[in-house]
Amino acid sequence: MAETQPVIFITGGVRSGKSSIAEQTAARIWRKKQTGKLHYIATMQVSDGELKERVAIHKRDRLLSKLPWQTWEQPVSLGRMACRFHPDDTVLLDCLTTWVNNELFYNGNRVDEEILLKQIWEDFSAIANRVHKFVVVSNEVFYEPLGDRELVIRYCRLLGKLHQKIVAHAEQAVLVEAGVPVFMKGGKGL
Amino acid sequence: MHFVTGGAFNGKTAWVKTYYDLSEQNCRLISGYREDPFPRPLPGDKPFLVLNGIEQYVYRWLHDTDEKSVRKKWQNILEECSELEKKQQLKVIIIGTDITKGIVPTDKKEREWRDAAGRVFQDTATVCRRVDIVWYGQNKTLKNEPEESF
Repeated sequence: MAETQPVIFITGGVRSGKSSIAEQTAARIWRKKQTGKLHYIATMQVSDGELKERVAIHKRDRLLSKLPWQTWEQPVSLGRMACRFHPDDTVLLDCLTTWVNNELFYNGNRVDEEILLKQIWEDFSAIANRVHKFVVVSNEVFYEPLGDRELVIRYCRLLGKLHQKIVAHAEQAVLVEAGVPVFMKGGKGL
Repeated sequence: MHFVTGGAFNGKTAWVKTYYDLSEQNCRLISGYREDPFPRPLPGDKPFLVLNGIEQYVYRWLHDTDEKSVRKKWQNILEECSELEKKQQLKVIIIGTDITKGIVPTDKKEREWRDAAGRVFQDTATVCRRVDIVWYGQNKTLKNEPEESF
């Protein structure tokens, strides 16, 4: 059996409601804990107007939630952030797909896939093993023909392996379908 | 027969290997991902027969014939599997990647492939006593009927 990390892994398709479920979950955990801070790691790099707007909406929602979210914008090398967190903190990462995308884009074809996977896993574990709870959002991107574009295949293979590793170690893994959480591993409630 | 499906890179093959404790000694693996030719008649010389990546074979067969014929061909193969299980006392495991949940492909061939794969999966799930979805290494059993007793 893989060693358990204090990770809640949440995936779903686009507009499945996974982000709001993850935010509510992180907030609930933080409130229950009563000590520690509530962190939000945003991985999106804003490159055009539509994305800017989406990021602005997310920021506004977090502000309106009246919760003391501490937001970090970190597109790559998330392991470097681990030292900013404390053992009582609750950390939300939204989302893993963008992070992996950034890493692949930064490193391009120069880096061997296995090395990149190892590096991302180490970064991930550095945070997971340091905090009270690490809530991680990701996407379902594995249900259509991948075609023959090498970069797409590489990306999906890397993300798939990473998801498998994370789920193997996570205390809970949840698939969100149309706003409804389906509990795939661990407890049947958030 | 046991049908295992799920998205790409979700650990389906690894799950099957662990679940049945498969090895080179006890298992005959025919894989569409390795581009293995699809043998007819199917080999019944080992206790386990695994047909992996059936959507890849569907894609290949659509080169030579239409969707209807591919489906018929697959139904014949399913019958052959069922016969093998009965006669040779072996277990057939069929693995296929679900490619049916993306947006409608613009390419006609891709569309046909998706349609044919979806129907072939339905036919497979119908005849298999057990059906599992594997999601990042975790299985969810969708169907599990008791073995027939004689």
